[in-house]
Amino acid sequence: MSEKNKAYRMADGYDALSANESAERWSVFEGFHPLLNYLYFAYVVIVTVFFLHPVLLAISFASASAWSVRLGGAKALRFGLIFVLPLMLVATALNPVFNHEGVTILGYLMDNPITLESILYGVCAALMIGGVILWFRCYTSVMSSDKFIYLFGRVAPAASLIISMTLRFIPRYVEQAGRIASARRGLGFDVSSGGFAQRVKNGGEVLSIMITWALENAVDTADSMRSRGYGLPGRTAYSIYRFDARDGALLLVLCALTTIVCVSIFSGTVNMGFFPLFSMNATSAPALVAYVCHAVVCLSPFALDVGEDFVWRSLQSRI
Amino acid sequence: MRSALTKRTVFAALLSMLCIPAVIAVNIVFFDDRGYYAAGLAIIILSMLPFAFAFEGRKPQAREIVIIAVMVALTVAGRAAFFMTPQFKPVVALVIISGVALGAESGFAVGALSGFVSNFIFGQGPWTPWQMFAFGVIGFISGLVFRRMSASIGNAGAAAPFVGHDESVRLGWNVRAKRKKERLRIALLCAFGFVITFVLYGLLLDTAALTMFTSEISGNALIATYIAGLPFNLIHAVSTVVFLAFLARPMMEKLERVKKKYGLLR
Repeated sequence: MSEKNKAYRMADGYDALSANESAERWSVFEGFHPLLNYLYFAYVVIVTVFFLHPVLLAISFASASAWSVRLGGAKALRFGLIFVLPLMLVATALNPVFNHEGVTILGYLMDNPITLESILYGVCAALMIGGVILWFRCYTSVMSSDKFIYLFGRVAPAASLIISMTLRFIPRYVEQAGRIASARRGLGFDVSSGGFAQRVKNGGEVLSIMITWALENAVDTADSMRSRGYGLPGRTAYSIYRFDARDGALLLVLCALTTIVCVSIFSGTVNMGFFPLFSMNATSAPALVAYVCHAVVCLSPFALDVGEDFVWRSLQSRI
Repeated sequence: MRSALTKRTVFAALLSMLCIPAVIAVNIVFFDDRGYYAAGLAIIILSMLPFAFAFEGRKPQAREIVIIAVMVALTVAGRAAFFMTPQFKPVVALVIISGVALGAESGFAVGALSGFVSNFIFGQGPWTPWQMFAFGVIGFISGLVFRRMSASIGNAGAAAPFVGHDESVRLGWNVRAKRKKERLRIALLCAFGFVITFVLYGLLLDTAALTMFTSEISGNALIATYIAGLPFNLIHAVSTVVFLAFLARPMMEKLERVKKKYGLLR
């Protein structure tokens, strides 16, 4: 990155925060309206957390893994193998050790029965945890903080304002601390020279000055906001998001599919019970329809990305 | 910037206490008392909603909002600055200071929002609501417990460099006595910080982790989880004490100064 570009990026408040996201690949789904992004994640996370059905969980987990690797590349794969997988193994192993319910006894561990049902439950709990963590990883890279603020600015204006101000303040403070440090260097109190104790003391001074400045500056900001009419009725907010026909079409399709899944869950077409004996719905046609609908919803962003890649490659090959 | 609780907040706190048994009842009736993680999540989110409504409902002033944003930004930056020392973080200390200096309601806002915003850097996940709740409640409780303390920490001996001890006693300031009292209060704050970090944050998040892992919450499983989490919680609690010991006085002093200078008092 060139120096000029770097300076520009530093000045842009969000960039210092999203530095770890810059490696993420752009997803087609990001281009859709924030409402769609948010509802999608709400659906997948809620179904994953609240309904421990083995098939639905497996679909959800597989889709989340595929999409997070597509978004994050090798970094996401490393995260999955180093962090998520061990966590899931612990969850699978932990449940049968502490939970002895269930009628199918497989063996005894220190006089405590190990049951098939509790192992199955452990596997499902592991899929749930792994799935939710991976979904949240996708969420972080797709739902930027300004999208969140756009959606919730009207529901919770004060909290949204605090969040967006915070995101702006952090890079600003870093910059100001740099200015204070160089001014102090001019006075002979250099942060980067002298013994350790001297450096810590000088660093503490810089921090102290910065915090006092931050609080003073905050009151100035507040007065400026007030004189520009903050909190008065009839004020509008700028937004760059537009709900177009493409968003409407995808929303309609996703709504129809998720409704089918929800109806199957509430009517009991898709059901499961772990204790005392594991039971699950038979693989009937209506159940299969529900599985397919859930799979299509979960995989849709990944499929959109893969489709885009395909179109891009075929266009390149034609040139 | 009010120290006393408004009726709205008391109502909010009561409402959230009613939500919790309701969720537990729903869990027992409809989910056969198995959805621990789902129920826990629902309880946590429901119990934060009343605070959020109370905060939004009273339409906070611009000055209050900006000061809260400054404290959230400092807390998030603090968490980010200590990214390479796991558990050794200034977050709880700064949240406690905010609660004490700005009042219980603002303390809750600083805590919950710090948890939320810092996870944009550290990664959102199923733990976010729990962290938000734990930090928020810590800010709220510190505001309640130390309602009268903030002024007495920041103020001691403001004129000390300019007058000698005898002179200050003659003027009725008695800086040394004030300093001594102040040190005592900071020690009290540190002890409070240790206990609340260990008990509220540590044990609550360990319990949350357990609800993710297992369908059966037994006493043994809880004890095993707490023992496994003990070293982490101890480091976290000790870090809170260390940061409070270093930050409480200068931070309170600065916040008190701004409050006095711009008339942000109650």
